[in-house]
Amino acid sequence: MTNDELIALEVDKTVDARGTACPGPLLEAKKAIATIDSGEIMEILSADEGTKRDIPKWANKKGHDYMGTVEESGYFKIYLKKG
Amino acid sequence: MSKLCMGLFSGSLDKLTAAGVILSGAAADDMDVEVFVLLQGARAFIKGNEDKIDNVAEATHLKDEFMKSLEVLNVSTWYEFFEMAKDMTNVKIYICSLAGKIWGGEKLEDFNDLVDDLCGIGEYLTSAEESDIHLFI
Repeated sequence: MTNDELIALEVDKTVDARGTACPGPLLEAKKAIATIDSGEIMEILSADEGTKRDIPKWANKKGHDYMGTVEESGYFKIYLKKG
Repeated sequence: MSKLCMGLFSGSLDKLTAAGVILSGAAADDMDVEVFVLLQGARAFIKGNEDKIDNVAEATHLKDEFMKSLEVLNVSTWYEFFEMAKDMTNVKIYICSLAGKIWGGEKLEDFNDLVDDLCGIGEYLTSAEESDIHLFI
């Protein structure tokens, strides 16, 4: 998906993990995805480089759909669709 | 479900923190974890010692910068990492009874709430044999 398409997605859950360092964002994502339904979309905000690589791999392992990452100023947004 | 066996020999802050981060990674992956705390590690698990760990194993001359960095980056404490991991997945923490005695802990009650039981060396090796991942810290 393009950046514009990602940003236009209707997000069902936002996890703002910009205050925490790795592995904080990953654990917050894990806790949060349990609270949404299959097919719903979650966005994770983080400023941690390790997380940028961890979450897509983790999502695929767990059967979720990694939709893409959008770079913002000083942080990034990862979009996942719950499997 | 993968199994991780960790032999936690070290009781220094940097290695305990590293162990905590690894346990968090294992928790994110829903692994079954068994931690066997040996020798130096047992000191950290004595009730009341959680905040008394202030030595680092490496780059000791840079300890102050290291500790400051942890604070600035808002890194959880080693204890918090262990707590989070126990909360999210199956993590069992066993203290080698000899190691416990070395630091003054004789019974389970002498140790903090992270600890599930005391154990012997045979259990550590059996766990290592049965695990997918075996780490020694």
